[in-house]
Amino acid sequence: MKTALTPEGASTDILAIANMPVLWVLAIGVFGAIIVQSLIYMKAAQKAGPAADISAAELKTSFRAGAVAAIGPSLAVVLVSIALLTLFGTPAVLVRIGLVGSAATESASASLAAGTMGAALGGPDYTQAVFVVAFMAMSLSGAGWMLATLILTPILTKGDSKLRKVNPALMMIVPAAALIGAFASLGIAEFGKTPVHIISVLVSAATMFLCLVLAKAMSASWLREWGLGISILVGLAVAYIAHTSGMAPAA
Amino acid sequence: MTSRTATAPSGSLAEFDRTTTRWGQITMTAALLLSLAAPIYLVLTTDLGITGSMIWAAYLAVAAAFFVLWFVEPITYFPVLGPAAMYQAFMIGNIANKLLPSALVAQATIGAKAGTKRGEFAALMAICGAAMVHVTSMLLFVGVLGTYLVSIIPADVVDVARLYIFPSIIGAVLVQLIATMRQARVTVIAFAVAIVVLFVLVPAVPALAKPATGIVVLLTATLAWFLRSRKDVAAPTTLVN
Repeated sequence: MKTALTPEGASTDILAIANMPVLWVLAIGVFGAIIVQSLIYMKAAQKAGPAADISAAELKTSFRAGAVAAIGPSLAVVLVSIALLTLFGTPAVLVRIGLVGSAATESASASLAAGTMGAALGGPDYTQAVFVVAFMAMSLSGAGWMLATLILTPILTKGDSKLRKVNPALMMIVPAAALIGAFASLGIAEFGKTPVHIISVLVSAATMFLCLVLAKAMSASWLREWGLGISILVGLAVAYIAHTSGMAPAA
Repeated sequence: MTSRTATAPSGSLAEFDRTTTRWGQITMTAALLLSLAAPIYLVLTTDLGITGSMIWAAYLAVAAAFFVLWFVEPITYFPVLGPAAMYQAFMIGNIANKLLPSALVAQATIGAKAGTKRGEFAALMAICGAAMVHVTSMLLFVGVLGTYLVSIIPADVVDVARLYIFPSIIGAVLVQLIATMRQARVTVIAFAVAIVVLFVLVPAVPALAKPATGIVVLLTATLAWFLRSRKDVAAPTTLVN
């Protein structure tokens, strides 16, 4: 399959195409859609406030409380996003990781897509063509959530739908199994790569474990929010040391 | 002062529902199309030799892993978010780690209960507030500062970071998931299935390499269902988005 690619497709200069101006324009368009939506929603809420038994002052307080509560988590997402910039370029990171999805789902989608091209994310075979296919797969996967929302919300709104009466045990076990199954599979797949990959997975997992234990012991919930960013940084730092000390195969 | 003024205030709830539904759908559709336009633009305008079958293969691999969640997450979040906020949440993303906490804080601040109209409005305003903070910080710190930061980091550091970023994410994500789900039985099943599929089945039948994760997901879900503990009580599930 890789032989079908043109010489350009085999270039590994991802950022040359990932940061194209058109992509910036489209990314900013998505931000625009969110801003427009928020403005319309806030106006609608102010108008209907009295009918919902909520005062203008309370609406303002809610807005401010939500904004303040989002500062920490937002900056945590910023840190993770910056770590992913070299992989996907700024526009793709802004839309996929910053908005619509999350670092977990989007990097998982990208890794799966790269796998179907016989490549590993960020590896020597992570070419422009692999990036574009991965970006496409991430976007289509994100579209799955948005389409499901667009289709299911009106159905759920109509009330007493069968959807809400789905067996609670089924709703508890199947999503958990699907999630853990997907990420366990991706995590274990890393063990088939180089020793540095294995070290990265283990160090990142151990760091997150430590963050969660400390978060609980010191009831510091910020550690839970920042856990992923911290784990990525520690994982990368150890990977850098291991890689440069010659543990990686010469590739 | 007739009774009419009391029943027809400045804006009715029905009008609010209509406005938020219509504009929620319009803005979400716009975001959906814009977000798909970016990779489509790259496929169409660059001469990289990408074929439709490559995209299909990638899409099927991703869909096999996530299609259950596409439907389960909206159904799970709906009772908490309400219809209007659904269109916000699945566009802004990072629901569990950012939007829900913001909504809960706002409801607690003004003493509104979830499930009431007051609660719905408080959550909606909180998500608007969170959205504004998030949009600003993403554009400023990632769009401007991050891009600059990456341009000054030495090339060899960037190369190594790119090489090991995925394993550095997946280890932490997996631990976080296991810790929040608290489903030991499902976790053990998932790991056992993943090891068998990846290190026994795929080496024996290399054609299964591409759909491997999808196979793990389906097998794990099936086994977890049939091997479930019958005395577990249903608890809310924390999801990934």
